[in-house]
Amino acid sequence: MSVYTKPLSDDVVSRTDNTMVLSMGPQHPSTHGVLQIVLEIDGESVVKADPEIGYLHTGIEKTAEGLFWTQAQTAIERMDYLAPESNSLCYALGVEKLLGITDRIPERAQVVRVLVAELTRIASHCVWLGTHGIDLGAISVFFYCFDLRENILDLQEATGGARMHPNYVRIGGLNGDLPDGAIARLDALIAKFPGRMRELRGLLQANPIFQDRTIDVGYLSPDDAIQYGVTGPSLRGSGIAYDVRKAYPYCGYETYDFDVPTRTEGDAYARFLVRLDEMEQSMRIVEQARRRLETPGPVMIDDTKVALPPKETIALSMEALIHHFKLISEGFRVPPGDVYQPVEGPRGELGYYIVSSGENRPYRVRTRPASLYNLQALKCIAPGNLIADLVVMIGSLDPVFGEVDR
Amino acid sequence: MPSTQNPPVAGAAVDPPSVRPQIDDATIERVAPADLRARLEALKSDGYSMLVDLGAVDYLQREPRFDVVYHLLKLAPKPASVAEVGRPARMRVLCGVDEGQRLPSVMDLWKSADWAEREVFDLFGIVFEGHIDLRRIQMPHDWEGYPLRKDYPMRGPERERSPRPAFAGKSNVVAGTPPSGRTFEALQEEVKRARES
Repeated sequence: MSVYTKPLSDDVVSRTDNTMVLSMGPQHPSTHGVLQIVLEIDGESVVKADPEIGYLHTGIEKTAEGLFWTQAQTAIERMDYLAPESNSLCYALGVEKLLGITDRIPERAQVVRVLVAELTRIASHCVWLGTHGIDLGAISVFFYCFDLRENILDLQEATGGARMHPNYVRIGGLNGDLPDGAIARLDALIAKFPGRMRELRGLLQANPIFQDRTIDVGYLSPDDAIQYGVTGPSLRGSGIAYDVRKAYPYCGYETYDFDVPTRTEGDAYARFLVRLDEMEQSMRIVEQARRRLETPGPVMIDDTKVALPPKETIALSMEALIHHFKLISEGFRVPPGDVYQPVEGPRGELGYYIVSSGENRPYRVRTRPASLYNLQALKCIAPGNLIADLVVMIGSLDPVFGEVDR
Repeated sequence: MPSTQNPPVAGAAVDPPSVRPQIDDATIERVAPADLRARLEALKSDGYSMLVDLGAVDYLQREPRFDVVYHLLKLAPKPASVAEVGRPARMRVLCGVDEGQRLPSVMDLWKSADWAEREVFDLFGIVFEGHIDLRRIQMPHDWEGYPLRKDYPMRGPERERSPRPAFAGKSNVVAGTPPSGRTFEALQEEVKRARES
């Protein structure tokens, strides 16, 4: 048997006479990545769905154990590749708690962190909306979404040098201040956003075909959502307004004015509406953060045990040279301890359980992947629906397989 | 390249998290494997309705070797506004478990435990009794070994079997004998012999 074929579990194979087993994926275009679903079907309707994951497992948690605290961030950003800033922000917040420097992060760094975290949420929802539309045959939505996302990726590239994984949020603050011209681009994006949102809503929200395909499809009751550990827009689509930004504020989210959109219908259309509303709320936060950017200030903690000293001091100060050398060659040590840090990622509660043994590398970095738990709920919502609706349900849960498989 | 170096061998240096100062929101509790099931049932009926996450940590040189970590959240399973949700209580239950020791499954209490327990089994080799479908989830089903254990080589067993050139003067095996049975010295001998012949 091939290494890549996993055995079916007994309860999938042992079926009643009227049903058959069908494998969907792992290379199906509508599965948003490499997901295989072993389906038990009765005619056209799904009796049981058993998602098989792990095709994208890259051992990022293991890799992180062999890297310095700062280096590990580059690996961690690659988990949820649609929202890299959420990952690195969560990890940085956790390590800062272990270091005990949470209160000393400069104000401007906090504002820019909020800014990039919300922009990455909008970019991630753009990919979700575009692919969700394509799944249902609405091809044009994809181009409008990716055009908007491209503007955000341009900003990401300006901050960190890379489009997808800028590694901009660092332990102790940021890699650097926003570059020249970034504010102008941001203003252009803020000006463009409402019109683009109107277009996106106009294309799908009242579209009868889209409504037919999504309303009453993939119903997730609040009880089941909690049972399966579903968080984020999928949980809020079932009526529970649990948002980590409100429940356990970080980076000063309590000082921003924004709403947590919820719907009580619990179907794919409700999750669609919640995400659209969420994009607008994110832009509200971005606008507020933009206004706070007027005050200049440092963006990295003033502690050369954690942060690199300014480049220009290296030629003048022996101390700075030593700190620079030590931080690059052996990193910094983090006091022993464990911490669980949650943040609200685009898909829900993203958490890092970080254990330090006092060394210059993390002892263990356990991710709480929102996608994994959300996708698991597919087992609950798929039965009773048509096979054709399965792609709607996968799309409405918005899994990212870099994060599911890690 | 740091990525190929040893992860720190500091299992013994890590204190049990229950005695360390707490820096996050959760209430931390340490439970013995025998009491685990009863304690989690009590917490569930106390309102901890969501199992946010279930993971494990391998403290290689400690007794017991592993910590299985349950993250619980007290969230009412009914539609609620932001004000009603408030700041839900968090709980972190740690359970020390030795190699070969089994833990009771909690997938009948929280369905989210299903994949989480499979993942801990897959990557650490900890067996959960009562799980209806305990098989590998991330690794291929015929994979040998448990990759997130500290004594599992960072670069994988395949790399470990092939003799390495002499300039790689460090072993990526943390402690003890690698699964291939060949120690670093034996590999060095092999390279030497290959060069001489």
